[in-house]
Amino acid sequence: MAPPPAVAAHDLSLGYGAGPALEGVHFEAAAGTTLCVLGPNGGGKTTLFRALIGDLRPLAGEVRVAGRPAYLAQTERTRLDFPVSALDVALMGSLASGRWWLPPRRAERHAALAALERVGLAAQAGTLFGELSGGQRRRAMLARALTQDAAVLLLDEPFAGVDPASAELMTAVFDELRSEGRTLLVSTHDVESARSFDLVLCLNGLQVAFGAPGESLGREVLEATYGSDLVILEEPPERPVRAITVQHHEH
Amino acid sequence: MILVYSVGMDLAAIPSPVELIELPATQIALAELVLLAVAGGLLGAFVVLRRLAFFSHAVGTATFPGLVVADATGFSATVAGLCVAVGYAGGVERASHTGRAPGDTATGLLLVAALAGGIILASDVFESGAAVDRLLFGTAIGLDGGDLALSGVAALLAVAGTVLLGRAWTAGGFDSVSAPLLGVPARRADLLLLLLVALSAVAALPAVGALLVTSIFVVPAAVARLFTRDMRGLLLWSMAVAAAQGTLGLYLSIWLDVPPGPAVAVLGAGVYALCATGIGARSRLPGEEAA
Repeated sequence: MAPPPAVAAHDLSLGYGAGPALEGVHFEAAAGTTLCVLGPNGGGKTTLFRALIGDLRPLAGEVRVAGRPAYLAQTERTRLDFPVSALDVALMGSLASGRWWLPPRRAERHAALAALERVGLAAQAGTLFGELSGGQRRRAMLARALTQDAAVLLLDEPFAGVDPASAELMTAVFDELRSEGRTLLVSTHDVESARSFDLVLCLNGLQVAFGAPGESLGREVLEATYGSDLVILEEPPERPVRAITVQHHEH
Repeated sequence: MILVYSVGMDLAAIPSPVELIELPATQIALAELVLLAVAGGLLGAFVVLRRLAFFSHAVGTATFPGLVVADATGFSATVAGLCVAVGYAGGVERASHTGRAPGDTATGLLLVAALAGGIILASDVFESGAAVDRLLFGTAIGLDGGDLALSGVAALLAVAGTVLLGRAWTAGGFDSVSAPLLGVPARRADLLLLLLVALSAVAALPAVGALLVTSIFVVPAAVARLFTRDMRGLLLWSMAVAAAQGTLGLYLSIWLDVPPGPAVAVLGAGVYALCATGIGARSRLPGEEAA
């Protein structure tokens, strides 16, 4: 018998009151899989993540996530005025051990410091979270996810607004997590980076495609996903189309 | 109804600070304010961080009509206050999780309704007279062992809550979306915070009155917030400021013959204004960083 999927959505329909914002989503990702969620702004990526973390109840269908996932939100929903350091934030991940009513143990403190080291923030461990740069704050939140030691990580636009140095560090950490056999769901606009994932889920208000990158990133699927936002760079014969997207922000 | 207090400024009548620990009535009042400093200082830190200042003000004021009725009918003021405060806290918590949290407007309306309702009950129904100013602004000399015991319970529960739930309150306030994913029972922890604030507000009613309980919860933590950069420092300084504010406020109330509530509140607000202004001026100096 096949093991249950680490993340699954079955006939999923999601919305915020005025009809579905995302519908027809149906996929399964086995443990240890890396899945890229691709789509334009407003395509339903964050809506899907909100359902996966239990923050949005499905209009129809169901979602399943094995265990408690670690979540890196796209928009910063953290309080920058809280008197917590980068180390305090990383230590919050240790709450997932189930001992939330007790002070952190020495081992948990070491794990949090190791996580900060892994994301290149060891020197900023004592710095207030609100005084870190945007990229550093994302890395601190990633350190919290590492301390949480979750089998499934949900990373919503992890590189959005992040400086190149932070992006490089985070990419290296994602590669390590992948090699550790963890399940990663990463949403992005970057068509080319999506090719390095095991699976790709294309969304644009509905599920356009799901499967291996070789099957799911053809010209037709990309055009259906991005419409006029898609710019084809190259379409060599017998090789995947190379494309970028132009994002229109309405704010 | 106009409440007038005669503020005597005869310098020769300045009481000795020793009087605070010599007279039995002031001993009880001092002990009461120190116990409230523990509860108010600890819970106040989370009240300020979690942006519950208006809630803490509302929960105290909401008890006023209930206190008027209890005072006139001989019913226990503590039980009446607890019923109203706990009911209000439970309602706020429930509404916040159904997307119908009472906003500032609704809370403001509640405050007006509670004050107006209480005044009408006091003046036209029960003719409470002089009891009104005691219910609104507290008393330094009318406190008894029962008041002290309730404040002791509130202080103990505040310490226990901070030790056991402090990490959950911090994680939930810092990132409310992710806290449940970390296994933190955020909703139950939030409810307990509101209930502890409600209980402590009721414990503070006899000393500082229904209108000024917020001076115990908000002012010390707001002052401490100006100087501290970590949770432990915030909690300790918040308690220390609350204790100093309570002691000095009591001294001023005896000296100026005013109820302790206004003395504590005005002193705290003055200290906060001075500190905030000083820090603001310092941050504007070249080469200086804001705290």
